[in-house]
Amino acid sequence: MTDAGVQTAPGADAGVPLSRREFLNYLWGASMAVFLAGGGGVTLWFALPRFREGEFGGVFTLPIAELPAPDSQPTDFPDGRFWLVNIGDAGLQDPRQPKDYSLQPGLKAIYKVCVHLGCVYKWVPTNDRFECPCHGSKYLKSGARIDGPARRNLDVFFIEVLDANGNVLSRSEPTMGSQEAAAVTIPAGAAALRIDTGRRVVGAVNSKPGGGI
Amino acid sequence: MAIFRLHIPVLDEVKRKGLRTALNDKWVDVVTRVTAGLNPADVRGVLRDDPPGRPNPRLTPHAEGFWLHMKPTYYHRMVDGFYPTFRLGWLSTFFGVFEIVTGIYLMIYYTPSPVVAYENMLNLLSNVPFGQLMRDLHRLAAELMVIVVVLHMLRTFVTGSYKKPRQFTWATGVILLFVTLVLSFSGYLLPWDQLSLWAVTIGASMVEAIPPEIVGRNVNLLVRGAPEFGANGLLRFYLLHVVGLPLAGIVAFGVHYYKVIHHGHSLPPEGEKVGEDTAKRVPMDSRVYFMPEILTRELWYVAGLLAVLFAAAAYLYNAPALEPHANPLITPLHTTAPWYFLWLQGMLKIGDKVIWGLVIPGVLTGLLLLLPYFEVGPSRRYGDRRIGLSLAALFVAAMALLSYMGTPHYAVSTSPDQEAVAELLPQTHPGPLRSAPWDDLAYGSYEAAAWSAAPNATLQDLLHRYDEVLTDVQSAGRADVAGRMVIEDWQTDLKKVTLRVTWTNTADGTAGEFSQSVYLHRDGNYGQGA
Repeated sequence: MTDAGVQTAPGADAGVPLSRREFLNYLWGASMAVFLAGGGGVTLWFALPRFREGEFGGVFTLPIAELPAPDSQPTDFPDGRFWLVNIGDAGLQDPRQPKDYSLQPGLKAIYKVCVHLGCVYKWVPTNDRFECPCHGSKYLKSGARIDGPARRNLDVFFIEVLDANGNVLSRSEPTMGSQEAAAVTIPAGAAALRIDTGRRVVGAVNSKPGGGI
Repeated sequence: MAIFRLHIPVLDEVKRKGLRTALNDKWVDVVTRVTAGLNPADVRGVLRDDPPGRPNPRLTPHAEGFWLHMKPTYYHRMVDGFYPTFRLGWLSTFFGVFEIVTGIYLMIYYTPSPVVAYENMLNLLSNVPFGQLMRDLHRLAAELMVIVVVLHMLRTFVTGSYKKPRQFTWATGVILLFVTLVLSFSGYLLPWDQLSLWAVTIGASMVEAIPPEIVGRNVNLLVRGAPEFGANGLLRFYLLHVVGLPLAGIVAFGVHYYKVIHHGHSLPPEGEKVGEDTAKRVPMDSRVYFMPEILTRELWYVAGLLAVLFAAAAYLYNAPALEPHANPLITPLHTTAPWYFLWLQGMLKIGDKVIWGLVIPGVLTGLLLLLPYFEVGPSRRYGDRRIGLSLAALFVAAMALLSYMGTPHYAVSTSPDQEAVAELLPQTHPGPLRSAPWDDLAYGSYEAAAWSAAPNATLQDLLHRYDEVLTDVQSAGRADVAGRMVIEDWQTDLKKVTLRVTWTNTADGTAGEFSQSVYLHRDGNYGQGA
């Protein structure tokens, strides 16, 4: 014990000044760390895939004659990954529809992929609802979640109604008090429906048991 | 002056000692070099279990050679029995090596491309000699490895072997558990059947849920290689499965095993005083030497296990038959995670995916990793650790319950008519109808209720099962439930089988119907040789 009363733990900083060699070693170390960080960033950038948004679909144009009738079964469009549903009076009066979401009659193009974990849910006519086989999320024809672990309503694609000359007569507009896209009604003189799968409108938050915010 | 001079020393020896002696000396020399220190007499001594000479030549290969440099020269007699290790760590290593070897065999016939991967699998299963055996072995050993690794961790917890000074050994073990699970999971995608695609789609979607949105979206893209699984995603999982994860596993294993040997195998809790760690101070009379005892025993374990694995794969175990080719447009009914991830599928059914799919599994992994750094009770005795052991038992019970919740029985059942058809014609495995002998499916239309009138035993059996599940369709809302199976001659060697369920809705008297068809070829081989 030369230093009276001063005890340093083994391995603790001995309090010697920074030497030139030590300083340079820190410098090399720091440059190496910066290089590795840059390399890591470049690796991520390298591995990030290149693709076009909405690569699987594109824009689908359907003549009015092919649209489903109000309250009929949803029509499957596998190429565009959507169900076309036509909400009629029966759909409007469905007691299972959560009250938190306004429901208008008309057409919706619902994205076929479950908003929980990406499985493709299916239409079950007997139960009159969409059911996901992976974790059991259930949705009404309107796209509203009524059960299961999903935490929002189904996503929909942007729809425009065109007349014979290609002029837009109406389109799926966001509804008041909700970020969801409303159903589209078919005005007189409509000739075709244009569905853009590159423009997906995310469903509204829905987390309560039985559906609702 | 010669252009070059060739000098073969053994010829000088032959000249000096005569052929016989020189060759014998050379043989002794070669054996000693190959074994890194044992001459032929020493090797025979090991195999005969003779007492070693002094100094003990059997220690030299540990000091001189690469292969045994990490192996301890002796073990404590207390850890040499079946208890307390149950050989689980050794078994994990064995299965790891076994997976690498069988995996390399499988790679010979596999191309990671959605265009041919499924076809490669069919070729492997039906055309390559021992191809099916190789796949069965790889799959069987993978599942056993998961079981063994989990049991190894459970044992380490129960005997308190993770406690000081072995905290870091435990942490590397948790990393190895993680690598084992992800290895098994990443192998799932490679056959490119429906099971593969949807199991991995769910996994990737969980990653996508990472908040904030920009991180989740980009990590998801990195994993899938595109917005949806396809050629890029398959290639990425393949590389992860055959290069990335094995490398990570080998490195983590090296650290793990080094630490195990460095601290010595922990003695059973009752084997030493509380707070002491005497694993490294092995009294002379408690030593069991690696050579010969452990070495010969491990050789016989390898022989025995290989025999059991091959016999099991050949006679008892079949890797699950391939599901239909991957189809990104149809998620099959009753799709499930592999059994060791059912607990996660169960958790995901409970609620929010961020909480149940990321936060809770993440916190559990973190707790597991850091367990020995906050659970610092000095005693490893069972009696002193009632709370910890009870919590572990609860944890295991919770995992079992969650795993049940992960099965299709919980919360994903669809309408009873579809469930009834799926009983005969499931979407995730061949099932009874596809596996039935093709010739027994006689043309005609059969009523499920009249199953006993069907022309042969196969049809009677199928219709009877059909009839039994139809009772579930009958309910207050549905009356007059009837099931029908129609078998038609569709084209040469191809039959169309339709299952139809009809009923009357009691509420409004309307008729309801659900039907599904399947086309069965004479050479369909849905059992895939099973």
